[in-house]
Amino acid sequence: MDYKSLTEDLVHQCLKKGADAAEVYLQSGRNLNISIRNSVVETIQENASKGVGFRVIADGRMGFAHSNDLSTQSLKATLASAIDFAKILSANEYNGLPSEAGISEVKGLYDPQIAKVSLDCKMEMAKEVEALAVKHRKVTKSAGSRYFERDSEIFLANSNGLIKSYRSASCGYGVSVVAEKGDQKCTGGEFCSRRFIADLEMPENLANKAAKEAYSMLDPRRVRTQKAAVIFDPSVARSILGGVLGALNGQRISQGASFLWKKLDRKFASDLVTLIDDGLRPKGLASAPFDGEGVPTQRRVLVDKGILKGFMYNTIAAKRANTRSTGNASRGGYTRLPGIGAHNFYMEAGSHTPKNIIQQTRRGLLLTGVTGYGINSVSGNFSGGASGFWIENGRITFPVKGLTIAGTALDMLNNIDMVGNDLDLNKSFTAPTFRIREMLIGGE
Amino acid sequence: MTSPNTFVHDIPRREFLKKSAKGTLLMATAPALISSLSSCSSQLDPGAKTALDPALFNKVIARALAGGGDFADVYVEHRVTRNIMLEESKYKNAVYGVTQGAGVRVISGDKTGYAYTDELTEEKLLRAAEVASAIAKSSKIITPVDVSVKSLPSFVSVNMPLNDVANQKRLDVMLRANEAAMSFSDKIKMTTVSYYDEVRARTIANSEGLLITDELPLLFFIVQCMGEGNGTKHMSRERLSMHSGFEMFDEVSPESIAETAAREAVVMLDAKDCPAGKMDVVMENGWGGVLVHEAVGHPLEADNIAKKIGAFTGKLGKKVASDVFTMVDDGTLPNYRGTTNFDDEGTPMKRNVLIRNGVLENYMTDILSAGQLGLERTGNGRRESFKHMPIPRMTNTFIEAGKDRSEDIIASTKNGIFVKSLSGGSVNSITGMFNFTCREMYLIENGQITVPVKGGTLIGSCMDIISNIDAVGNDLAFGPGICGKGQSAEVTAGQPTVRLRGMTVGGSRA
Repeated sequence: MDYKSLTEDLVHQCLKKGADAAEVYLQSGRNLNISIRNSVVETIQENASKGVGFRVIADGRMGFAHSNDLSTQSLKATLASAIDFAKILSANEYNGLPSEAGISEVKGLYDPQIAKVSLDCKMEMAKEVEALAVKHRKVTKSAGSRYFERDSEIFLANSNGLIKSYRSASCGYGVSVVAEKGDQKCTGGEFCSRRFIADLEMPENLANKAAKEAYSMLDPRRVRTQKAAVIFDPSVARSILGGVLGALNGQRISQGASFLWKKLDRKFASDLVTLIDDGLRPKGLASAPFDGEGVPTQRRVLVDKGILKGFMYNTIAAKRANTRSTGNASRGGYTRLPGIGAHNFYMEAGSHTPKNIIQQTRRGLLLTGVTGYGINSVSGNFSGGASGFWIENGRITFPVKGLTIAGTALDMLNNIDMVGNDLDLNKSFTAPTFRIREMLIGGE
Repeated sequence: MTSPNTFVHDIPRREFLKKSAKGTLLMATAPALISSLSSCSSQLDPGAKTALDPALFNKVIARALAGGGDFADVYVEHRVTRNIMLEESKYKNAVYGVTQGAGVRVISGDKTGYAYTDELTEEKLLRAAEVASAIAKSSKIITPVDVSVKSLPSFVSVNMPLNDVANQKRLDVMLRANEAAMSFSDKIKMTTVSYYDEVRARTIANSEGLLITDELPLLFFIVQCMGEGNGTKHMSRERLSMHSGFEMFDEVSPESIAETAAREAVVMLDAKDCPAGKMDVVMENGWGGVLVHEAVGHPLEADNIAKKIGAFTGKLGKKVASDVFTMVDDGTLPNYRGTTNFDDEGTPMKRNVLIRNGVLENYMTDILSAGQLGLERTGNGRRESFKHMPIPRMTNTFIEAGKDRSEDIIASTKNGIFVKSLSGGSVNSITGMFNFTCREMYLIENGQITVPVKGGTLIGSCMDIISNIDAVGNDLAFGPGICGKGQSAEVTAGQPTVRLRGMTVGGSRA
């Protein structure tokens, strides 16, 4: 039986066994990982796998069971487990499955070429990027290079008549290196992922970025504790966007567990902050025709010039908030219940070149490394380790390490006063370079 | 990219029961594999059961090494999981899962080939062996030793097997925790109780003739509370986890976990902004051992040492820490979250002293890195599941108890920070730079713990931190956590109360 008919059939079986509503999510996939070190293949892993998850609602109670054994006997037992497990739970008036028909048209999710390129060629790509990176004079060692590809097909059916599927693939490669000088060690790495293998960046670009990240941090200095401007490089955008994304989760809003609670339609950030979630972007790494429970995806402006325009919902969270799903049900594979998450999430580009932003900064930190959890999406507190380059009078002067930065999300977002024009939408979670007017930088 | 960063999520503070070592023998000598795999679930495909006899392992291993290579192994896994969530005083959802599969690995020199299958049939296992052998082609042909069943002492005892526990009992412990948290204070606005258990059956066979099997239970219980007041909110968390039967909840009550979480959620509403700068830091006993788990433990895992890029490369036998510092990784502590009977390559667990009185004595190895470095196998070859290759990982890692009393350590610290719990942290094992996000911390003023502070971060380098530990308490305790290094592993971290001089603390006021 093909997977499409199987998922439909399994939905019927769930209903026959006593479920009032049922969803079957089947995923099959293949992946390949190659790792190289010092021009030698260190590991190759190649695998195919599949599995199915049953979400059932009985008397308002929602149970879930999954298995990676697709034998008839195992599937029967698994769906029975889902129904049995539902019975022990509390009834929840918001439990329900989506009924939104159709899918969004998204181009460029599957590249058949990836599977056709030979294994040797993929190994060569990883070897080449490593060879180029270690050629740099100040790079002393390779920490390894890697190539990967994933190919995944999803079949989703539910008792509201939804039956949808799509296939997607991605591939990527990159390298990490070490630069040493005396007792000092610095690491750098660059990695590129794309939907289409022909769109991968040239190895020279990746090698140069990895090498530069490592050697440019040699001989760092410390600065004293002070308030100064902080320029966020796109490589550290996640440290800010992650916590904001958590705060835009519709379920967390209903629970009051978000620093953006009660801020809808209010201005909470600088005019320069526009945040977009785009599930439709052609070839987008986080694009999809429908979300983790079958609702068609959209492109939405969540924050418009500093004003909060909306939150992200899946079907259950939307019902509770008396609204409609925004197509933001996330799904960490067939073993997971749908959660809430973004697709391609980014801050809109501004008008300045990154160089211009640095030139207009009298004193501050160009932040290229942040450690820690970023913004806490409940309290809005931010605190982390920081590294990058010190700026004096509009010029980069020396690398800095071992610093800390801290603040609150609302202060930080309100104090963004310059945004760069260097937005790279090949990444699925990103921002252009931007500057926060002033933060407390901890040093000596 | 293969990031050198590794991290541990929230390891909460929890004093573990001081239990004496048990030496019960595990399931043992029965024609192990098949019967044990099938015993943990009635849902296993009967075709799969009969397929996995010792003769089949010999065949798969022979196929894996047919093209050459030094070593091959087969790892078969079957896992049953249950996850229930109670939130806003409702049992909102529950997930039941069954996962099975097998991985075949071939090592040839420094090369490794790996492939897995989720179908336990002869055809698929042989296919995985072929894929794994493809890159390990070598002129070196070895004759694998026929497998024979081995049994080892068990460090995991079970009185109430998880697969025999009625679901109502699971719901009861969750409800008890919820009630304890919600009634703790009217400032607690929301509580989430998450219950997880699993039974993982493993069978490992290798070309050295090993054939070994066991079944490990795991419980993981998490309480999160959201406190609200003073115009602010704080989300707290406390966890309890052991390789144990359901009797864990008789030994540590769900109420005690809930109260710890609730107390943190209320206390932190009064927190002031954390100061930034260099200061002395006293870390409470227990989960705080995650600091050395990150800062010292990860750099002592032998994979980066074998690649000659790790921060501790070439330092074996050298003085790397202060005299008061002794650090141990011990996978035999009875029923601890990081304990197993043997690692995921079949190497028995043992107590490994990593650093003794400041001198580096051991790295933590798996089969590959032990071979590359010519070192002993330490029982640290672990994997998240059959979908992952084993790599060197920690088990239960801790700073050995010292002589100081915790009161004296605090009283002798004029000004600084007292850290009660950390959210977690990460380390770059090549450079040794680490960071930690604090969850609950206080100022120390004139030798006294005073006000709570929020938004604090600790950063530094691994070499500095172990040189700067100048006081070690006599109150060793442990806490459970999830360690991530490309794949996740269940671990505990432990320490007595310790003091670190001159650490860099990040905060939002000068």
